[in-house]
Amino acid sequence: MNSWIHVLSLDLAVVAIAAAVMLVDALLSLRGKSLGWLVVAALTGVLAASFFVDVVGVTPHGAYVSDAWVLFFKRVFLVAAILGILGSIDWLEQRASRRQAEYYALVLFSLVGMMLLPGARDWVLLVVAFELMGVPLYVLAGYAKNDGEPDSPKLAAEAALKLFVTGAASSTFTFFGLALLVGLSGSTMIGQGVQPSPLASVGLLMIIAGFGFKLGAVPFHFWVPDTYQGAPTPFVSFLSVAPKAGGLAALCVILMSTGWIGSHELWGPAIVLLSVASMAVGNLFALPQTDSRRLLGFSGIAQIGYVLIALAAATEQGLAMALFFIAAYVFTNLGLFLVVHAAAENMGGHGIAQMSGLSRRSPWLGGALLVFLLSLAGIPFVIGFWAKLFVFLEAYRAGLIVPVLIGIVLAVVGLFYYLSVARSTFMAEGTSDARIHSGLALRAAIGICLAAVVLFGLWPDPLVEGANAAARAFMAGR
Amino acid sequence: MNHWLSLIVAAPAIAAACLLVLKPDQKLAIRLVSLVGATVALIGSLVVAATYDRALGGFQMLESYPLVPSYGIHLKLAVDGWGVALLILTGIIIFTGVLASWSVPKRDKEFFLLLLVLVSGVFGVFVSQDLFVFFLFYEIAVLPMYLLIGIWGASHDVRAAGPFKYVWKRFAVGGKEYAAMKLTLMLLVGSAAVLVAMLMLWASPGVQTFDLQALERASFSHTTQMWAFPLLWLGFGSLAGVFPFHTWSPDGHASAPTAVSMLHAGVLMKLGAFGVMRIGMVLVPDAAATWAPIVGTVAVINILYGAFCAASQTDLKYIVAYSSVSHMGVVMLGAATMTPNGWNGAVYQMFAHGIMTGLFFALVGLVYERAHTRAIAKMGGFAHPMPVVAAFFTLACLSSLGLPGTAGFVAEFLVFVGAAQSQHWWWTIPGVLGAFVTAVYVLRACKTIFWGPVPQGEYAHLADARKTEWAAPLVLGSALVLFGFWPRFLLDSIDGASATFLQRVTTVAEVSK
Repeated sequence: MNSWIHVLSLDLAVVAIAAAVMLVDALLSLRGKSLGWLVVAALTGVLAASFFVDVVGVTPHGAYVSDAWVLFFKRVFLVAAILGILGSIDWLEQRASRRQAEYYALVLFSLVGMMLLPGARDWVLLVVAFELMGVPLYVLAGYAKNDGEPDSPKLAAEAALKLFVTGAASSTFTFFGLALLVGLSGSTMIGQGVQPSPLASVGLLMIIAGFGFKLGAVPFHFWVPDTYQGAPTPFVSFLSVAPKAGGLAALCVILMSTGWIGSHELWGPAIVLLSVASMAVGNLFALPQTDSRRLLGFSGIAQIGYVLIALAAATEQGLAMALFFIAAYVFTNLGLFLVVHAAAENMGGHGIAQMSGLSRRSPWLGGALLVFLLSLAGIPFVIGFWAKLFVFLEAYRAGLIVPVLIGIVLAVVGLFYYLSVARSTFMAEGTSDARIHSGLALRAAIGICLAAVVLFGLWPDPLVEGANAAARAFMAGR
Repeated sequence: MNHWLSLIVAAPAIAAACLLVLKPDQKLAIRLVSLVGATVALIGSLVVAATYDRALGGFQMLESYPLVPSYGIHLKLAVDGWGVALLILTGIIIFTGVLASWSVPKRDKEFFLLLLVLVSGVFGVFVSQDLFVFFLFYEIAVLPMYLLIGIWGASHDVRAAGPFKYVWKRFAVGGKEYAAMKLTLMLLVGSAAVLVAMLMLWASPGVQTFDLQALERASFSHTTQMWAFPLLWLGFGSLAGVFPFHTWSPDGHASAPTAVSMLHAGVLMKLGAFGVMRIGMVLVPDAAATWAPIVGTVAVINILYGAFCAASQTDLKYIVAYSSVSHMGVVMLGAATMTPNGWNGAVYQMFAHGIMTGLFFALVGLVYERAHTRAIAKMGGFAHPMPVVAAFFTLACLSSLGLPGTAGFVAEFLVFVGAAQSQHWWWTIPGVLGAFVTAVYVLRACKTIFWGPVPQGEYAHLADARKTEWAAPLVLGSALVLFGFWPRFLLDSIDGASATFLQRVTTVAEVSK
């Protein structure tokens, strides 16, 4: 028997870290921020290892395949987890200092689930990995149970419950669709093609609906603004990016199960519909928001619409640019939520109006906020510009002209509300002149995101090539 | 291969980066760093103009660096005859603009930083030879305007009237934030149209490149062309103030601080016209020829409508802003003639109008800083306390109405000759009529503000230009006269480029017939 354990070495390393965190918490009871920093260091080690350890291979019976595609996603997840944890360290120490280890362990287990998703080639493994990703998130969403804003202390409970109920409902969709597909093909292997039939279409649509929930695509988006508002903001920075990348990976694997391009007619229109609906609802509902977290929630729905439009192109390059977009989104949105968190901690709330004068009180945070907003809006020389442009380019090339036109128009609408946040932070004179202080870890996380957004914005080629290689590997392995 | 072009584009951006490390209270250092950045760019553009080989023509000083090779995107810079003229214009305007904003009242560091970033974008547009990079720089040039107007601009009262007065109140018309948002969104809708056209061209069979020279050689299908041209015309045209997409311009220019108005009316509107000609007409010549009658007719509307609007304004900044709309109509008219004279005139008008309107806004800023009003009815006899300002303002007025000996004359003359030579000779009539109305309103404004009896009361002791305030009138005023008497310096290079582009436009049009 060939050795195959190296294929899962990165995932096992994360499991080991998670187990170590719980053991350390039980035996040593570390105080202060050291545990958080240790987790970050360990994950950084895993990330570095991903560049040196050979993880390409297949597990017995082909249930798990690891290649450049899987590696790309694993790095994205690791980066998101590192930055998300880095941004949480200070908040945890202040607000929940006795519950730190649980937080890290839950994030790590969710991370393991995500890392297993893109390589899963067996329906059972895929669903288990997806639930492993999702269940810790329910707990984390309610983590700020004692920490709600004074006037509405129940927000955390609402956040967690909404996420859980929608999540549970979507799981039932997935299971039902799976039952149909597996029943038709007679095998739990994803690679086994399904012959097109009305029943297969129903099954596939059910599964897309189930996974669409994690993506937060319309019409499965209702949890997004409420959860973003009620859950702890540093956690939302992670929640708003990593599970979406996970959902995207899972969606690709599922669509591949039907032969990807060959069955384009089967799922293409469904994805286009999801995409256009997400862009429209996200962008338009973001307009009247007054809470920055809710605004970013709707903006996130819109951004997912842009990803899906590239996926709907059903080409290798389209897939590659969806990956590029999601990688760009990780840096941008994570950084943006962390800035909002840093600002809200000092300015007494998450309302957009409460952030007025941010750039005067902290030019550094104000500048970072502006850069992230511009990146989401798709303005040049930040990474989001390339992401949005490449996505439109590929979708246009694949003939999705009307959705692209709608997307471009809505992108201008998006600019309006992104700029209105910038107006509050840059133009309005705040009530206070006091400098804003934020912890080292939080500043480091924001700084890394900022550097990535700007540097990849100036020279996107490495990331484009990485996404291309990943997509190529995926298409070859199908 | 020399690196003058990348130096010109990078110098302001590098200066902006240097500003980041300065402290907000190092006021002099901030200004000096900005001035150095602007001066290097100006010297660079003068060197480029001096070393550009006019006999050889074409694209020179080529630099190319891969950006995203898998999509055929290269950071490719080169300059042609049009670029030479527009580089000098931008260099002069930013140099004088920095000096004119020496007295920025608040948040100086951010102001100069945004100003310099914006100018890097403008330089980039004029020298990029890759459609994608062109678009990149174009966006960079447009966006800082939002903050520049929104933070440092001036609000003014607009009496809500007419059927939409409730809407006006709701959106705080007249406020600087309203103006900033209106300008940004209108221009961004324009860029969205440009983006769609870019996608169409790129996705055409056998293209898949953004290289402008390669795109010029590509032949696009008739349908693609017929769709792409109006998108490019209206997309870029919204920045050039093409009727009816000009409405951001009066509000924006009136609300903007001095240096920003100078840059925006002086240089940014030229980006739009440059885009229409360089991208729209040269890349899809077939459709351009078909659409030319409409483009020219709309340009004529621009000239007349802008002039009549300017004539009925009572706010000094609005007069200058509407005159820009009118003068940009002259540029678009020149472009629409598709004749060598018309195109030379269009580019020369971009240059002349840029200098002239820069001078106008600099002087209006001076007057406003001292008199604290822009209502011309309240002014009068300002020539007595401020003779220098009055003299230069009169010079700008004369160039605006096209007096021989000023740069404005050369440009308008060429455009009208071009119009007469084109298939639509009647365009000349409203064109000349527009020049006449211009004479009426600029002379009236000039007379009301500066000439007449010695002012009494609060306006009796207005100060004349001082220290750095001298720079803008002197430099821009002498440029107006210099290029009025010696147009050949620029016209030779402009003509080379126009001839090359026109030759391509006409041959392609004939082949396809």
